[in-house]
Amino acid sequence: MNIMAQAELKSVERAIADVIYRACLLLDEQKFMEWLDLCAPEFSYRITTYSPEIRRQMTWYEQDVPGLKGMIEMLPKHNTDHGQLTRHVTVYTVDVARSQTEATAISSFACYRTMLDGINSHMDSGETQLFLIGRYHDRFSIGEQGPRFLHRNVVLDTRRLDKGSHYPI
Amino acid sequence: MTAQMDRVAYDSGESIPYVDSRIYTDHGIFEEELDNIWKKVWIATVHESELPAPLDFRTLTVAREPIILLRGSDSKVRAFLNVCPHRGNLIIRQPAGSLTVAEPSGNANRMTCMFHAWQFDCFGRCVDIPRAKAGYQDRLKKEDVALTELPCEVAHGGFVWITLSADAAPLSEYIGQAFDIMKEELDTEPLAVFHYHKAIISSNYKLWHDTNSEFYHDYMHYFNRATSMLQKGYFDRQYTAFPNGHCTVGSMEVKYDAYQGAADRVLSFPGMPRNGWKMVDLFPGATYNIRGSSLRVDTMTPLGPDKVMIEFRGLGLKRDTPDEQAQRIRDHNTIWGPFGRNLHEDLLGITGQGVTMRPGSTPRRILHGRRENNTIHDEIGMRHFYTEWARRMGRSPSNPLYRAQIAAE
Repeated sequence: MNIMAQAELKSVERAIADVIYRACLLLDEQKFMEWLDLCAPEFSYRITTYSPEIRRQMTWYEQDVPGLKGMIEMLPKHNTDHGQLTRHVTVYTVDVARSQTEATAISSFACYRTMLDGINSHMDSGETQLFLIGRYHDRFSIGEQGPRFLHRNVVLDTRRLDKGSHYPI
Repeated sequence: MTAQMDRVAYDSGESIPYVDSRIYTDHGIFEEELDNIWKKVWIATVHESELPAPLDFRTLTVAREPIILLRGSDSKVRAFLNVCPHRGNLIIRQPAGSLTVAEPSGNANRMTCMFHAWQFDCFGRCVDIPRAKAGYQDRLKKEDVALTELPCEVAHGGFVWITLSADAAPLSEYIGQAFDIMKEELDTEPLAVFHYHKAIISSNYKLWHDTNSEFYHDYMHYFNRATSMLQKGYFDRQYTAFPNGHCTVGSMEVKYDAYQGAADRVLSFPGMPRNGWKMVDLFPGATYNIRGSSLRVDTMTPLGPDKVMIEFRGLGLKRDTPDEQAQRIRDHNTIWGPFGRNLHEDLLGITGQGVTMRPGSTPRRILHGRRENNTIHDEIGMRHFYTEWARRMGRSPSNPLYRAQIAAE
């Protein structure tokens, strides 16, 4: 690979990492529709984990873009824990296809919940707890407008989520 | 005696039945519940599909007693106390696995206590005590010790039921006719687990069973209001009470497409109408809930008066194709997964109750008084539970410290 090609590859890798970080900021700010703007129309989203209890791979959430939009639009109709979720992410690997039209990335994340009304707001609001940890396994399409998410698999290490959540991670 | 019985039977049919919140907060009552209820009755635990092969095991805890469930070389599932008879160490530490895998301090096909390498076979027999002759001479041999075996049956959709009471009546007697409403769905063909997760909530276990035993709280769930409460047949659903504190809730046709983004269920269970919905609530803390394409089974492990672990399983048919199972999982997750619409709301509900009912907090009345001819918003399910609770505890749920007061007088 010549120097120009190497520089171009690094640029694509930086763009992939950048879109992962932007996605986290948008999710943290609950700007879910803007998060979906970073995704291709055929984007699919899953939350999965392996259970050593039943010794099975499990899918805990699975949606396409219309499903995610519907879920987001219905959020105001549901009672929920309004604690703020904050994602801390490190992009570990970015692998760009030779064609430079697709890429995959693996990132590690920790998601914290700063409590508001989930238990007793008088005492607990403002406290930050570790909610869950895991990895993002992302796949991207790369076009003229830059990388777009094609697929995200949120692979959870944490399996005891207690009250759970209504929000994408 | 008559006066005592009057005070135990809180559901007299008059005025507004209530329970005293101390039944959810008092440490002494909690310890009595472990002794008088949880160590006496049959408890639904894991599903047999979690132990598919000989020598597969699962571990769990009931009323603080650690337990091993093990499928023997003869394919029969047995239950043992997970306690070494030597110095009381926990023998199997993993939640699940297979004895065919050797442990660092023991041979394959055996349960080995890692502490001193005492080994037990799949029937609970002790098969090796290292240096037994040197240490015990002839005072103790491996034939003299064994793991304590517990009564264990596989029934009602393939669940493994156990009891800590060696002299408990058979499971069939304890359950009675409570599963008749769901028998065809559960027992026509084998089921398989596709989902498992757990929650530990700072609240009393009975508050979760209360939630599963009354539908008035559907006002909390937009999903249920749209797809059920506003639909034909919802207010006709009937509760039926059975001996030993169990009750069932009859079916209706849920209109899933009344919720944006949800779709009517394509799959079902044998004998279950498409989009049907049935429930069986079992004393003291398990619920079978079939909605359309998935069966959810809740089991509880009380950890204290103000702490409970709830385990959630989702099941379909064992013969499901991968596509069919994926569809059942999607349907299940819409409302019942850890990111589902309803479960999060239900857990917020008992979390809030746990805030108002902490050990030491002011006793208050919790109303159980809705009467609507045993239909869906009637609170007969809770009243029936607490009538059984009173019978087993010898205490009135509306005056739970009565016995202590008598002693003081």
